[in-house]
Amino acid sequence: MIRTVLSFVLVPILIGTFLGGAVDPQSLPFVGSERISAVFLLDGQAYFGSLEDSPLSGTIVLRDVYYLNDASKVTTDYPLGLVKRGNELHQPVDVMYVRRDKVVAIERVTLASPIGQAIASERALNRAAAK
Amino acid sequence: MSTRPDRDTSRRPRDAAIRISRRTLAIGATVAGAIVALALVLAMASFIGANTPRSVATVSEMKVQQTAAERDVERAFEQATDQVIKVRALNLAISAEQADQIAAKALSDLKALRHSAFVSLGQIQGLAAAEAEPYASSVETRFTAAPVAKAPTPSPVLLAPRYYTIVSRMSELATQLAEQATTRLTASPTSTPVPSLRPSPTPSSRPSPSPSPSR
Repeated sequence: MIRTVLSFVLVPILIGTFLGGAVDPQSLPFVGSERISAVFLLDGQAYFGSLEDSPLSGTIVLRDVYYLNDASKVTTDYPLGLVKRGNELHQPVDVMYVRRDKVVAIERVTLASPIGQAIASERALNRAAAK
Repeated sequence: MSTRPDRDTSRRPRDAAIRISRRTLAIGATVAGAIVALALVLAMASFIGANTPRSVATVSEMKVQQTAAERDVERAFEQATDQVIKVRALNLAISAEQADQIAAKALSDLKALRHSAFVSLGQIQGLAAAEAEPYASSVETRFTAAPVAKAPTPSPVLLAPRYYTIVSRMSELATQLAEQATTRLTASPTSTPVPSLRPSPTPSSRPSPSPSPSR
């Protein structure tokens, strides 16, 4: 009787408690909407993209990376411009490894935010260009 | 001395078999299982990666972006035009004919630059070259009737990178044209003429430097 209670009640409760503390349900695949992360580095630079954060690795991985550029001399509404990573002198591929000890903060980007909207619009333009 | 008959090598012995120990079998099965598990993990990872939801802007959201990009291009044009007109209105050292010629050339170049920017905007939205021209003309007509400077301030929009590339190039070239015209208009009559700039706001393939720290 005690063994049955342990097997079917206590063990699931313990596993559920552990997973509830360690896993974000929104980060599970096929659930919820897209997750765009903002990674703030020690040097003040911020990068936005799809984050792969494995706790066993010393680096975090960002894909589909964007960053902000000074646009104070450009006639845009904001004094900032969003730039897609890839057109730099070394033309990097669309993946970026960041050392974990250089990261100050990681935040989730709201899809309705200006950055979320600009990224979504860029994808729509890419689709239009591909047609 | 007896001779040994030749062995018939074509016949297989009746009891021929390969003997594999249970231990070897267990190791083989474990390795095969690990390879299958690894393949499953990789296949699952790529399947999940391919099916990760990605947000794409709706038509109404794209309209907001397009309007903001058009407004930003027009703003660059109007600022540069205002500068040329204000400098032309000053009491200049060069002759009025020369000043009119320089100002007219600068304004013409700025109009060509704006038209080219609107064509580029149309093209990145998926319009063909034949469709982009009338689109650019219609936007120009709309802004000529209602300039951005007189319009109410809209809610700010952060442009998508493709739009931003065109707007920043337009701003850069419009500023250069206005500065160049200002230099020529305010020069002394004997100074040598400055070579003219060829307007083209089409995004250049020139790579950008490494990202600068954000503000």
